[in-house]
Amino acid sequence: MPSNRIPRIGIGGPVGSGKTMLIEQIVPILSAKGYKAGIISNDVVSKEDAERMRRNLATERGLMAEDLVIGVATGGCPHTAVREDPSINLSVVEELESKHKYLDLILIESGGDNITTTFSPALADYFIYIIDVTGGDKYPRKRGLGIESCDLLVINKIDIAPYVGADLKIMDRDAKIVRDSKPTVFVNSKTGQGVDAVISHIIADVLFAAPPKALVKS
Amino acid sequence: MIFMDTEIIDKDVSILQMADSFFPTGLYATSNGLEALLQVKKLKSNDISQFITIYLKQVVGPCDCTALGNAYESCKKRDLASLIKTDESAYYIRLIEEPRSASVRSGNQLLKCVSTFSRHKKMLKDYQNAIVTGKATGVYPVSFGVATCSLDIPKNKAGLILLYGFTVSVIGAALRLGILQHFEGQKIIHEIRPAILESVLRNIDRPISSIWQFAPGLDILQMKHEMMSSKMFIT
Repeated sequence: MPSNRIPRIGIGGPVGSGKTMLIEQIVPILSAKGYKAGIISNDVVSKEDAERMRRNLATERGLMAEDLVIGVATGGCPHTAVREDPSINLSVVEELESKHKYLDLILIESGGDNITTTFSPALADYFIYIIDVTGGDKYPRKRGLGIESCDLLVINKIDIAPYVGADLKIMDRDAKIVRDSKPTVFVNSKTGQGVDAVISHIIADVLFAAPPKALVKS
Repeated sequence: MIFMDTEIIDKDVSILQMADSFFPTGLYATSNGLEALLQVKKLKSNDISQFITIYLKQVVGPCDCTALGNAYESCKKRDLASLIKTDESAYYIRLIEEPRSASVRSGNQLLKCVSTFSRHKKMLKDYQNAIVTGKATGVYPVSFGVATCSLDIPKNKAGLILLYGFTVSVIGAALRLGILQHFEGQKIIHEIRPAILESVLRNIDRPISSIWQFAPGLDILQMKHEMMSSKMFIT
C-alpha cells in the first residue's frame, strides 16, 4: 500500500439493510477514540444518505467537517460504481487523501444493491457486507458474492428477529459454513448493540491497532 | 508485411478498447441533462435522437472534439505549453460546475488507466505532472486526445470514438431512465452515424482559438439537474 494511501473500508448491502445507520454508529465511536474518518456515500437515486450523515455527524454533532461527507450519484448502477468502473469513487477518494492527509480511514458506502455486490480491491482495502433479518434466516445460506467474499458480515436488526421468524443461531451457523469461518457480527444499528464488535474488527483488521494519527503527532 | 499487418491490427484493437463502454472512465454515471429533461417533458425515442444531434452540433463537436484535436496535435509535437493552453480553454468553457468536475475526474482516471499500458508515456507523464502541479486540470477531451495519441490511434478515429462514446452514454442513460427499449437504442446509434462523422470532420482540425459551444437551453437544464434532490445521474 502506498504510504499516502488512507485505509478504505467499503460498506455494501441491499437497500434498507442499514448501511448508513451503521456508519452513523461507527463514526462517533471511532471519533471518541481519536480516529478521524471521511465518508463517501454512493446513492442510487439521490444524495439523501450523504446529506443525512453530513447533518447528523458534522453539522449537529461536530464530529467531522462537513466537507468530509461526499455524496456520489451512480447513474443507476451501484455495483458498477464500486466494482467494474470505480473511476468516480477513486477520484473522490484521491481528492480526500490529498486534501485531508490527517484522516485515519475512509468509509465508502455503496448504493443499495443485490447480494452479488463486491468492492474493487483498487477502491476498498476491507469489505463489510450488511444484511438484515427481515429477509429470513435463509439469507446467509443462499450465498451470493457479497455474503461469501466480504471480510466482515454484519447482520442487522436483530431486535426484530422474533417477529419475522428469523433464527439467529441458524444464520450464525450458515454464515460460518458459507464464509469459511470468516467473522460475522450481529447488531442492532438503531441502538448500537453489537457495534463495538464491528469497531474491534476495524481497529484490528484495517488499522492494525495503530493509534490515531492525531495522537501520534502530539 | 507480416509486421505491418500486426501493427494495423494492434491499432484497431486499441480503437476498440477505447470505444468500449466497459473502459473505466465513470461516464456511465452522467446523463448530460437527459434526466432533468425527462422531469419537464415526456420523451420519446425521436426526442433522444434530436437531443444527441443538438449536443453533437452545439457542444460536443465544436467544444470537445476541437479540444481533442488540439490536444492530440500538441501531444504528437510534444508541445506541453500548447497542451496546457488547450486544457485551460476546454476547462473554462464548461459553464456548469458538476459536469466540469465530472469531466476532470473522468479525464484524470483515463490518464491513470492508459499510463499503465501505453508504450509512449512521455507526454502522458508530462501532462499528469502539469496536473499535479496545478498547471492543468486533466479535463476529459484533452486527456482523451493525449491518451489516444499515446496509443497511436489516428486522430480522426479518436474523434469518432469520443463522439460515439458520448452517443452511447446518452443512449445508456435513456435506457436506464426507461425512455427507450434496447432495440430502439441501437437503431438511434446506427442512424446517428452521419451526424457523428460530420461533427468530427467539421471540428477536429480547428484551432483552439475557435473553440465554442452554445446550447443555453441544455445549460439551464443541467443547472436544474444539479439542484434535483432525487436523481440517478451526475448532471
